[in-house]
Amino acid sequence: MSGPGPAAAIEEGRLPGRVWFYSTYACNLACTYCLTESAPGVPRRALDGATIVDLTRQAAALGFTDVGITGGEPFLNPDLPAVLAEVASVLPTVVLSNGTLFNDARLVALRPLAGLPIRIQISLDADEPEVNDAARGPDNFAKVVKAIPRLLDAGIGVRVATTIDGTPDPDAMARLCELHRSLGVADEDHVVRPVVRRGRARVRGEGIGVTPADLPAELTITADGAFWSPFGPTVTAGVLDTDLLVTRTTNPLRVPAEALLRLVEARPRGEDARTGIR
Amino acid sequence: MAPRITLVDADQAPLLVRHLFAGGDPGVIVGALATVPELAEVAVPFLGAALGPGSVEPQAKETVVLRTSVVLGCRYCVDARTVVALDLGLDARRVAALRETTPGERLEGVDDDTATLVAWTDAVALAKGPIADEVHVALARRYAEHQIVELLVTLGTTMLLNRLCTALSLPTSPETMARLAAEGFGP
Repeated sequence: MSGPGPAAAIEEGRLPGRVWFYSTYACNLACTYCLTESAPGVPRRALDGATIVDLTRQAAALGFTDVGITGGEPFLNPDLPAVLAEVASVLPTVVLSNGTLFNDARLVALRPLAGLPIRIQISLDADEPEVNDAARGPDNFAKVVKAIPRLLDAGIGVRVATTIDGTPDPDAMARLCELHRSLGVADEDHVVRPVVRRGRARVRGEGIGVTPADLPAELTITADGAFWSPFGPTVTAGVLDTDLLVTRTTNPLRVPAEALLRLVEARPRGEDARTGIR
Repeated sequence: MAPRITLVDADQAPLLVRHLFAGGDPGVIVGALATVPELAEVAVPFLGAALGPGSVEPQAKETVVLRTSVVLGCRYCVDARTVVALDLGLDARRVAALRETTPGERLEGVDDDTATLVAWTDAVALAKGPIADEVHVALARRYAEHQIVELLVTLGTTMLLNRLCTALSLPTSPETMARLAAEGFGP
């Protein structure tokens, strides 16, 4: 039985409940497989904090159940902790981060978030520094393994995300799992996903090609418009990809939410999230 | 001439309008509109309805489209709609008169009905306020009220496209250029 709007569709499992915000495309790293070609000095394409908070309130009213904030590196914005406090007071929130910016000052700024429904998802691709850092940059491994326990000690939930090009090596994966457990992150908070052939990975000929059928239809808001999935608003050779663009209108959120729902409902039966990449 | 924006192609076609690219290149107007998919999704069918078959016979409707494009100085639309007009069977001399006669000049080689339609088109396309009663009355002797409404929607839609194509410097396709040259309408 199909209800008319996003709320009923989310309630009935026809539309994913998470809405994503690309807070910025800028990043202090330049990972080899980055979907958005993020790096220092790239166009920021930023959503300001007030917009994210406003759209989060609209998302809750439309029936969305949780929020994801990604980038770029969201924590480049010094106001992010305050924004997160407001967002998480409305909906549970996960923030994707490269985990390299959590110095003493930032940890202090994050303290008020302890106890709120916020988790920081930090990228860690290998248990060996040289393997991890080859894709993510010098000293990345050392900064991440230092940051994770400190965040947990500060009362902030942490997830670990591992991105792999090709078939995972079971032994390497076992060692990585041992490492994240030793850092205090449980198995259920470890996600493994493939490199997706978009953005910088596409230019380098890495990763797997995806279509909307491979990606859960998680409404994703950027400064450039609303997209089918957080894997949608990619940048290739400096140009924004629009093949997974839903609408340019992002406010009111009802416009892209209803357009996304129409696209989801128009899909052939069974063509939903073949790969389910998250 | 290069367009002033990056036109969407089939590889980058947004989800709401991907079907418009399924049958091959839909043209530069769709390529421009597709940058705003939620707009293109409704605009493209509307353009088809406004400019396509209706209660006014196609040659008269195309006369309005071509003449409006001439009056507003849209190079892309004049090129493209000249080919459409010829395909609809408009006489080449009538097409040439529509392209080359300035508003207020007497059109050579056209019947009174066409002259009335062109005078009305010129008046509406150039008007900064209401058009003169006698121009409307002359048209109303030949067309029913609903047909006048249809002609106005056709004309207004053409003006929208004239501005869009001109402001964005949309390029005439090589196929259209070749056809115009073959028909004696080349540069």
